[in-house]
Amino acid sequence: MDRNIVHMDLDTFFVSVERLQNSKLKGVPVIIGGGSDRGVVASCSYEARSFGVHSAMPMKLARNLCREAVVIRGDMELYSKYSGMVTDIIAEDAPVYEKASIDEHYIDITGMDRFFGSQKWTHELRQRIIRETGLPISCGLSVNKTVCKIATGEAKPNGEKEVQSPLIKPFLSPLSIRKIPMIGQKTYELLRSMGIVRIGTLSEIPQEMMEKLLGKNGIEIWRKANGIDNTPVVQYSERKSISTERTFEQDSTDIARMRELLAVMVEKLCYELRSKQRLTSCITVKIRYSNFDTHTLQKRIPYTSFDHVLIPMAKELFERNYQRRMLIRLIGVKFSHLVQGSQQLNMFEDTPEMVNLYLAVDRMRNRYGKDAVGRAVGVKDFEGRR
Amino acid sequence: MKFVVSSTELLSHLQSISRVISSKNTLPILDNFLFSLKDKQLEITASDLESTLITKLTLANASDGGKIAIPARILTDTLKEFSDQPLTFEINDDTHNIVINSENGRFTIMGQNGDEFPQMPQLKDDKKVSIDVDSELLLSGILKTVFATADDELRPVMNGIFIEMSPDDLTFVASDAHKLVRYKRTDGKADATASFILPKKPANLLKNILPKQDSRVRVEFDEKNASFTLTDYTLVCRLVEGNYPSYNSVIPTDNPNKLHIDRLELYNTLRRVSVFSNQASNLIKLQLKGNQITVSAQDIDFSISAYERLNCLYEGDDMEIGFKSTFLIEILSNLAATEVVLEMSDPTRAGLILPAESANENEDVLMLLMPMMINA
Repeated sequence: MDRNIVHMDLDTFFVSVERLQNSKLKGVPVIIGGGSDRGVVASCSYEARSFGVHSAMPMKLARNLCREAVVIRGDMELYSKYSGMVTDIIAEDAPVYEKASIDEHYIDITGMDRFFGSQKWTHELRQRIIRETGLPISCGLSVNKTVCKIATGEAKPNGEKEVQSPLIKPFLSPLSIRKIPMIGQKTYELLRSMGIVRIGTLSEIPQEMMEKLLGKNGIEIWRKANGIDNTPVVQYSERKSISTERTFEQDSTDIARMRELLAVMVEKLCYELRSKQRLTSCITVKIRYSNFDTHTLQKRIPYTSFDHVLIPMAKELFERNYQRRMLIRLIGVKFSHLVQGSQQLNMFEDTPEMVNLYLAVDRMRNRYGKDAVGRAVGVKDFEGRR
Repeated sequence: MKFVVSSTELLSHLQSISRVISSKNTLPILDNFLFSLKDKQLEITASDLESTLITKLTLANASDGGKIAIPARILTDTLKEFSDQPLTFEINDDTHNIVINSENGRFTIMGQNGDEFPQMPQLKDDKKVSIDVDSELLLSGILKTVFATADDELRPVMNGIFIEMSPDDLTFVASDAHKLVRYKRTDGKADATASFILPKKPANLLKNILPKQDSRVRVEFDEKNASFTLTDYTLVCRLVEGNYPSYNSVIPTDNPNKLHIDRLELYNTLRRVSVFSNQASNLIKLQLKGNQITVSAQDIDFSISAYERLNCLYEGDDMEIGFKSTFLIEILSNLAATEVVLEMSDPTRAGLILPAESANENEDVLMLLMPMMINA
C-alpha cells in the first residue's frame, strides 16, 4: 500500500525569523553565521543566494561574494522558540510526525485521505503555519520520505508540490543527482566524473555496480534514485549521544589551553547529563588538524556523569590522540551509549562532600543559569574571550 | 601401579575436585587428574595453577606406588555411567597406558607422565601463619560474603574475600565499592593479628567441599599462598597480593535515622517494584515518613511506574534515598534474620543493613550499601 508522507521545510528559516524581528531586512541579502572569518554560513536569504552564497560556505568567502549583505550572528534560542511553535502546530493536527531538524518535519498522513484529502489537508496545515507564525514554509507530498523531501526542494520557495506514485520516475529523472539527500560534494564529484548528471541515469545503473563503487551507501543511493525508501516516520527518537566541539580562531598548538578547554567542555556536558538524568559509558575525543584530517579516539567506561571522573579521561584520550606535530583546528568531546539513570556511588571514591558539592553546584546552575558557577579554568577561558 | 577402587566412591571424590579444572587451560596437562599411589593411600590432584585441590582415599587393595596423569573428562564421563562396582586400574608405568577392568568390560585410556604435572606451591616455613578454624565458621564466613566480591580487573584486591584474624575475633570482608559485607565471629581466634585475601574461585571451591567435612580446618598461609587442610581434602591456592582498602573508614558510625522492618516483606516488595525500575540503573527510591516506608520505581522510557507502602518502625527525620534495587535485594537475600534494621544518615551516605536479632551470639553481620545519587 502506498503511504502518504508530507515533508515540511521552513524556507531560509533563520533569515525568516530575523525578518520577523526586523522588517528592514526584507528584500535585502542577509547572511546568518559566526562573526569571525573562520565561521561558516548557517543560513542565507534568496537575495544573497543570487550572489553565489550558500550555506556551509566559509564566512570570509561569503562576505567577499556579497559585500552589501547584512551579516547577523544568529540567536539559536530564538530560532528554537520559533521551531517549537511550528512543531506545536503540527503536533496538534498531525497523527504521526518526526522532527528531522530545527526547520524540517516529516508527517505520515497515510489513511487520512479518506476523510480529508491529503493535498487539501496539507495545504490547510501549511496555511495555518504561515498564518500563525508568519514564517514561509514549503512542503512536498509523496509516498516516502526521500521523494517528498526532493519535492519540497522543488517547491521552494514558499510552495507546495505533490508527487503521486506513478509520477515519481518522471519527476526524479530530469533532476540533478545533487538533489538526492545522501549525495554530498565528494560523491557528487565522483558520479559526475563518471558522466552521471541526472537521477534518471543513476537509476539505470545496475545496483551491483553501485555497491562496488560506493559500498553499502551505493545501494542506498541507488534505491533513492529509484524513488524507493521504506524508512518510517518516527515520532520520537532517543538521543544517543551528546557532544560539543570548538573551532579555534586560529589553528593552534597551545596544548595547555586545549586541556583547559577540554575540562570546560566536559564540565558543560556533564551538567547536561546530570540535568537530563543520563549516564554515559563511552567518551570520545576528536581532534581536527589544520589540514582537516580528523582523528577520534574513544573509550568505554563504567556508567558515570561526574566531571572529576570524565575530565582526566578526556585529557588522557586527548594526549593519546594528539600524535601529529601539526596545528590543531578543532577539538571536540562526545559522550555516547547514554542510559537513563542516576549515579551509583562508590564508597572509596565518592565522598559525601563531593556528592553534595555536585548537588549544590547543579542547584545553583538550575536557578541562576548554566554559567553561574564552574571550574576556575572555565572562568579564565570566559575572561579570555572578552 | 595397580589398585582396586569403588566406582561411586572414586566418582564422588573426582567430582568434588573437578571444579578446579578450568575450561581454558594454558597447560594441556592440567586437563588431567594426577593420581599418586603410596602405601595404599591414593591422592588425586586437580589444578589450574592458581588453585590446587587434593583428595585422599584409602584403598584396601593396591600394589606398587607411582604417579600418573589421567584425562579428567573421559574418566568422569565413564565413571558416571557405572553402577556401584569395584574397578581395577592397571597402569603401565613405562607406556602410561591405563586399563580399567569393570565387571563386564575393559576400558583403555592413554595417560601422561605424572612427573610432568606442575608442582604444588610450597609455603615458606619461616613466614607461615597457622590457625585451626571450625569448618562451620569458615563456611559461614564465605557464604555470607562471597556475593559482594567485585569483578574488577583493575583492582584485583577487591576480587577476593579479605580474611582478618586477631586474638579477639575472625573477620571476613568483601566489597565491590558499591556494597560491603563484614562478617565477624568472636568464637574464632588467632594468636596474633594476620590477614590475607582469598580469591573468589578458591572461596567457591571451599564453599563446596566444606559441607562434606564436619571438623576443624587447618588454615596455613604466607604472603603468597594459603592452604586449607580438611580430613580428606587439601586446597592450596595463590592469594591476591596487595593491600585491602581500609574498609573500616567507610562504615559510617553516626546514623541517626533507623528503620526496623520485616526482611521478607521488604524483600518481596522490592522484587515487585523493581520490575518497574529503569533496566540500566535499577534505581528504586525509599521514602521514609512517619512510620511508613514508600518504595517506588519508574522507567521514563516505557512510561511505567510503581510504588508500594509498608508499615515499619522508623525513628529519624523524613528522608528519601535511592538504591540500586538488585544490590538491595541481593543483600536482603543474604541475611537470615526475620527483621532487619536499616541505618542511614543522609541520601549521599552509605546505608547499613543489619539483622535485628541473631541466632548465633558470636556472630556480627554488617552489610553496607552505597546509595545512588538522586537529584533533590
